[in-house]
Amino acid sequence: MFLINCPYCGERDQSEFSAGGEAHIERPKQPTELSDDQWAEYLFMRKNIKGVQFERWNHAHGCRKWFNMVRDTSNDKIHAVYKMGEKPPIK
Amino acid sequence: MLNFNTPISDTKEYSEIKISEVEPILKINLRGKNRDFITKIGKELSIITPVEPNTSSSNEKLNLLWLSPDEWFLYSNTKIDVKVGRVLEDKLFNEISKLKIGSVTNVSDHWIMINLKGAKIFELLSAGCPFNFNNFKNSKGAVTQTLINHTDVIIHNKNIDDLNLFVRRSFSEHLWSWMNDSARFI
Repeated sequence: MFLINCPYCGERDQSEFSAGGEAHIERPKQPTELSDDQWAEYLFMRKNIKGVQFERWNHAHGCRKWFNMVRDTSNDKIHAVYKMGEKPPIK
Repeated sequence: MLNFNTPISDTKEYSEIKISEVEPILKINLRGKNRDFITKIGKELSIITPVEPNTSSSNEKLNLLWLSPDEWFLYSNTKIDVKVGRVLEDKLFNEISKLKIGSVTNVSDHWIMINLKGAKIFELLSAGCPFNFNNFKNSKGAVTQTLINHTDVIIHNKNIDDLNLFVRRSFSEHLWSWMNDSARFI
């Protein structure tokens, strides 16, 4: 069983959550000044690495809150879980 | 137009499990973030607003469940006349929604309440639920939102071996059938 520690509700099964992709992607401040390639880079390109990755998750079948997670994609080990707006506890 | 007609309207008894649908129950969803909102609902309902996760508070008429840091679920202890429920809803609406402190939504028609009683109710739920009920079943007033047989539910542990389960109306007949089917094998 793959358990995730929701920062609001506590430890729950992974089936209650849904993944929301890579975290900490900043929207460009002046989108109109970007080229199509730069805009596509922001909009579509994600790292999707094998290793430690910063991700957004949603406790969809619980408190319905979004939060961030530092997860090793190679073995599903969760290094940290933190609320939206907070800085990552791990670099 | 609210429709308070119930889709199940039934009670079933199995070995140490009794499942019954309890309707009509007044259910109100309350959302708000600031401290004013929390004190306001406490004052209007004469109930302490639970701010600790997965907890609830009750008085003789109402139960207030914590759903998330900015969301609460209010339901009546007993079956309630629609008109009586409307009075409470209007009172909350005028004091909270109109003053833009938070939002008040009547969800009486949205959720169906199923009461489960008996020593084996947690065995029944565990047959299709990933939630760990070990601590939950011994803590009176505990609340959880989880999945049972892939269906979203809110569970309120009202008393020892006595809980109220809320399921969306459109999923209620499916969950009811599943519970009855599973209870036969426990």
